[in-house]
Amino acid sequence: MPNTLKNTSVRLGCGAGFWGDAFDPALELAERGNLDFLCFDFLAELTMSLLQRVRAKDPGQGYVPDMVNWFADLAAPAKASGTTLVCNGGGVSPRAGAEALAKALQAKGIAGRKIGVVAGDDVLGRLEAFRDAGVKLTHMRTGEDGFDRIKSKVVSANVYLGSDGIIEALEGGSEIVVTGRVTDSALFIGPAMHRLGWGFDQPDRIASAITVGHILECAAGCTGGMSSRFDQMPRMGEVGFPIAEIFNDGTATISKLPGSGGHVDQFTVKEHLVYEIGDPRSYFTPDGVADFTTPHIAEAGADVVRVTGMRGKARPDSLKLLIGYSDGWIGEGLLMFPWPNAHARARKAEETLRERFKRLGLSSSAISFNYIGLNMLHGPAAPMPSSDNLNEVGLRVAVKTASRDEAEKVRRACSQLWIMGPGGTSFGAPMKPRPTIALWPTLVPRDLVSHSVEHITS
Amino acid sequence: MTRSLVDIAYVRAGDKGDSVSVGVLAKSPEYYAQVIASVTPKTVAALYGDWVQGKIEVFPMPNIDGCLVLMHDALGGSATNTLRFDQTAKSLGTAILRLPAIAP
Repeated sequence: MPNTLKNTSVRLGCGAGFWGDAFDPALELAERGNLDFLCFDFLAELTMSLLQRVRAKDPGQGYVPDMVNWFADLAAPAKASGTTLVCNGGGVSPRAGAEALAKALQAKGIAGRKIGVVAGDDVLGRLEAFRDAGVKLTHMRTGEDGFDRIKSKVVSANVYLGSDGIIEALEGGSEIVVTGRVTDSALFIGPAMHRLGWGFDQPDRIASAITVGHILECAAGCTGGMSSRFDQMPRMGEVGFPIAEIFNDGTATISKLPGSGGHVDQFTVKEHLVYEIGDPRSYFTPDGVADFTTPHIAEAGADVVRVTGMRGKARPDSLKLLIGYSDGWIGEGLLMFPWPNAHARARKAEETLRERFKRLGLSSSAISFNYIGLNMLHGPAAPMPSSDNLNEVGLRVAVKTASRDEAEKVRRACSQLWIMGPGGTSFGAPMKPRPTIALWPTLVPRDLVSHSVEHITS
Repeated sequence: MTRSLVDIAYVRAGDKGDSVSVGVLAKSPEYYAQVIASVTPKTVAALYGDWVQGKIEVFPMPNIDGCLVLMHDALGGSATNTLRFDQTAKSLGTAILRLPAIAP
């Protein structure tokens, strides 16, 4: 099965860290990155539930719409550069997404482009079959077995697939790969394994690919975005997205296009290594388990960082399954108060709002009040000021309710303070109640899940 | 003058389900021992108070002169249903920099 070509390295770029990311850095990479693969992560934990709702209204939807426009515009420069495009923008409808992309390519006169579709992650219709097979769907974190409690409220259920499907699609000649829910890092691991001929029996090599994929998957996250040293990052509005070159010996370099904004240095890379992880000794993915306490990260030139020494363990027997379920509503409001005595005004407004909630008979499971400018972000960790001589203070209230009607009472109470609140109170546009999704992470045996790969041609 | 972590460390924070992770990196290798001495489950628990309901773990990462702080049940739900404004705990991490820098 390994690729028969003996490549000494593979060049990968990251074209998006989330649905909503900037397009121009991706276009620059497609045109000038000299890449083998340009990979796009469009999915966050919540995205699958949102897309599932879209698909419920229209079965032809459920993919990330931006993916279609972007890939239609990138297809020509990517082809000219010999770059394969890979993304998880298929969302809950990868086949429909690929078909929409094929149509968009045809509309641009681009015919004969082979699009690989990787699916099999969507198990919404298989949860009962899993339970019949003896899978309890125990909550990974709380250990709760009571899946029946949420059964009727389930909106989405997606297994985090690994690289297998992407590798299979590439072996089948895909020039573009569109997947459903694969792990963010699989978008990079799959192409690297394919091009370098690596197998799952090489855990240290896989650990290299996992580490590089993790560093790249948030795009500007390792080139100056979110940096503690953001003030020192040049021209962040023109930031370059990252490029990785992974070598056959398992070492890698991280860089970006010359002339682009931002920096790649030891700290931009180290900061991203520790981003959104659990125990760094065991970073679990369906493709392998990387030990993030092993990589050595060192600067190797201007905007070039070398990453070496990655170690890991073989891929786990279970896959993560993330179930999203409807979990009531949130009603919220935001009020701002001016000097003098801004803090005192905010406190009195909180008291007034609590009285209004009582009068309106608000039924809620949790109420949270924070003072903007004082403790909204750091909570108990923020020391409160000793005097009330602040220029302005805000009050934010958020309330958890079972129904939309109850959440609506929060908006109404906040609006009522327009006149029955403190003098000088300032309101933005009232905030609409929003439905919320809760997540139920669990594990399923790998052998109960199978990916699928098909090809369509534009 | 007593120094705090803001003088010797960088942070990057994020969420994972109900957990909040904060990577703390020494600005220079010579500060690594101070970072490890200063960031402990006890000091972190005292700092965040009732915003962290679960276990706090600190994993040393000597390869990058830093550590990873993992706070369980720390987001008031998960990013998708928390009442917090900072739904993904991006800003919560910098609070760690308030901790005093303790000599090892």
